[in-house]
Amino acid sequence: MQSHALESIFFKLYSETSLVYLTKYLNVIPKIRSNQCHCLHFPNRNIIQTRKYASHRDAPKSFSKAVSDAEKLVGYPTSFLSLRCLLSDEVSNIAYHMRKLVGTKHPLLKTARGMVFDGKNNLQIRGLLVMLVSKAAGPNSQAPYTEQDMISGVYPSQRALAEITEVIYTASLIHKGIVNLKDIVPEDGPLIDMEFGNKMAVLSGDYLLSSACSGLAKLGNPDVVDLVARAIGDMMTAEFTETFETTNTSQISTRFTDWLKQTRLSLGSLLAHSCRSAMTLAGHSKYLEEMAFSFGENVIYAQQLCKEITSFTNQDEQTSQSPGSLAPVVLFRELASEDEMSYLLNYSPDSVYSYNKLLNVVRRTGALEKCQDLCVQYRNKAIASLDCFKESDAKLALINMVTAISSIK
Amino acid sequence: MSFKVLKETRHFNKWTQNVIEQLRACEFLLGNSEDYRYAVHKRSQNVVICSSSSCHSHRLCPTHRTSLIYTTLNANTTSILALPSTCQYSNVQAVRAFSTVGKDEPDVYVDIDPYKLVEADMASLANDIKKQLNTQETLLKTMSHYYFDGKGKTFRPLVALLMSKACNISTNISDRVMSKQKTVAIVAEMIHTASLVHDDVIDASDTRRGQCSLNKMYGQRKSILVGDYILSQASIALASTGNPQVITILSSVLEDLVSGEFMQLGSKEDENERFSHYLKKTYKKTASLIANTCKAVAILGQCDDYMSEKAYQYGRNLGIAFQLVDDLLDFVSSELVMGKPTAADLKLGLATAPVLFAAQEFPELHPMIMRRFTVDGDVETARHLVAKSEGVQQTKLLASQHSQEAIKSLQEFRASDARLALERLARILLERKS
Repeated sequence: MQSHALESIFFKLYSETSLVYLTKYLNVIPKIRSNQCHCLHFPNRNIIQTRKYASHRDAPKSFSKAVSDAEKLVGYPTSFLSLRCLLSDEVSNIAYHMRKLVGTKHPLLKTARGMVFDGKNNLQIRGLLVMLVSKAAGPNSQAPYTEQDMISGVYPSQRALAEITEVIYTASLIHKGIVNLKDIVPEDGPLIDMEFGNKMAVLSGDYLLSSACSGLAKLGNPDVVDLVARAIGDMMTAEFTETFETTNTSQISTRFTDWLKQTRLSLGSLLAHSCRSAMTLAGHSKYLEEMAFSFGENVIYAQQLCKEITSFTNQDEQTSQSPGSLAPVVLFRELASEDEMSYLLNYSPDSVYSYNKLLNVVRRTGALEKCQDLCVQYRNKAIASLDCFKESDAKLALINMVTAISSIK
Repeated sequence: MSFKVLKETRHFNKWTQNVIEQLRACEFLLGNSEDYRYAVHKRSQNVVICSSSSCHSHRLCPTHRTSLIYTTLNANTTSILALPSTCQYSNVQAVRAFSTVGKDEPDVYVDIDPYKLVEADMASLANDIKKQLNTQETLLKTMSHYYFDGKGKTFRPLVALLMSKACNISTNISDRVMSKQKTVAIVAEMIHTASLVHDDVIDASDTRRGQCSLNKMYGQRKSILVGDYILSQASIALASTGNPQVITILSSVLEDLVSGEFMQLGSKEDENERFSHYLKKTYKKTASLIANTCKAVAILGQCDDYMSEKAYQYGRNLGIAFQLVDDLLDFVSSELVMGKPTAADLKLGLATAPVLFAAQEFPELHPMIMRRFTVDGDVETARHLVAKSEGVQQTKLLASQHSQEAIKSLQEFRASDARLALERLARILLERKS
């Protein structure tokens, strides 16, 4: 029945855009189902499994391999975490209304597509990392527990938390995709469509947030509510900082500390607080909480540095983000002489020529190299935070994932 | 439920169906906990609700008096068509005779100012909220503080604080509001404000409380994010109570608010379902927050399940009455001030109680409700028909019944100023003009 509901929702959504998505989507349904069944019947199968620890050397190189290995460990494909939320009446209602948006340029459509059919870049890794950290930390040695309490080595409350983390992230993406109606241009489509898209975005984001809040409340731990609420507050604060407000490339005030703050608020806080909460839920020590927090924060720094280096050097992957706020350019500002700064001041966003000149000068000052060094440093910091956990499949999977998401192609 | 049919009409089947549907709505309104009896007035096809106690005892509380007098005044002949077969007063004469008994009973109004009783806590409210919303980012600070300027009605915290006092006195803990209860009052106002900010974007309204709305000033995107920010800070405050049950109760309000907003998006095709849809929506959008806040402060005041439920029922009925009055003011309030009602709800395509009642007298309203008053002239016609109908009075009647139910829920609280203030609050909200 579930799959039927999903089919109809997404058929409604995508029938007018692309059937390819739908077929792609339907193919994975049996996969979830079989996975869930196996969790129910053999809860400890993955723990019992005697799998040789792979050495660092033959760690999977590709990101998708790292993810699929990790998913096997926690017994649950994370890409479908927030999908459960989509099964409600409310969202099917939204899906129905969203048909009207097809053909417009409202960002909500893009977010919705990314939510279900992970593109290369926004795969939902947060939930997966939270579950892996939970599994790596293992059961609480102080409290007696039975094997039934944990499924694939993760407490149900931690699993719920992983799901909540994904839901919150998705909700924040949806709300950030709301457009200011007075700024829209004729190419965006008729005003009425954009207005409608906003309405849907507000409601669907609110819906996800409210389910996340009541899910959090059900965990029955006020400390966790506090931690995750702080993360939400940080994500919202990130949209009001001076760094965020400044879109002008020549703006010279943004320093690397600003970049760090911005990244922490907008991305790091959620993962860090969620990893910490996973420890709190299992009743682990303050020390493990700190380590999990530091892991989450540093993973995000490494990942974001890697992403921004790639998008700065590789023009094909250039995002809509203006180069002025990208990490390599931010570092460049700190290293560049006045003469070199002129390239940044004269940069024109529409010219490829101007872009290449900027790229070259950034390379020359060593800002790019420094950025890569920093990326490795944060990756190592993240891996070092895992020292407090004993060796396990889960720990290894964490290391593999961190390595994969911070490897510059 | 079985009905003894006293007189049949030509459109019996359709009408009965309608009645039963409305009774369901009433059941929802009054809760299923008690055995309610319904008397039905045929001509205007309204449901008049009277509780079982009126039939058994020979005293009538003001609610039942109003409903029965109302019935009698409109009933020229045998206008009561159906009564539950168990009701011992199953004919009009009996009801008439009965109504005169209650007529002379004086109303006891206690002159107590609800606001005065918790003045100190109320005065510091805006500042406490601003403290909770403390941030380094200037724009975020300005925007999140925007609606906490002390000019709002702060009705929700008022109810929460008074209820806290009434509960604490009942359970003998204290005669004051405890700090955790005050936190709940603050959280209630923050949740309410966050939902206003989001509603204004959804409804595209340019003004709020007579000033420029946030979305008009700063754009839709930032307004929504500020709403989320306020909510996150409210959650932090809520977590500080350290009580998982209280956290769960208030988190459920958020789900109700969203699902209420969803209900507002669609209208029911079936005319008979519309009223119950409207009432459910009213509960979710308005009453849930007030009711659950009352329940939360009762739990913090160490009330048992029974008393917490009573506190919840007070909040629920008060909330529904509050919204009904709000909905009728949309048709009358500005009429007094500007000579012409604003009918803002109609313009948004929403059919509220006065319209739904009016549609029973003027069926031509149904197609307009379905198309959400989108055709030119719909809003004017609907407004005109509502004015001609008894819609507004009937809404007021329904509100007063909820207000009475609210007062009834307080019966088992120990007599105190706080309880009297809550009772008075339930009465004065019916008289409010804005």
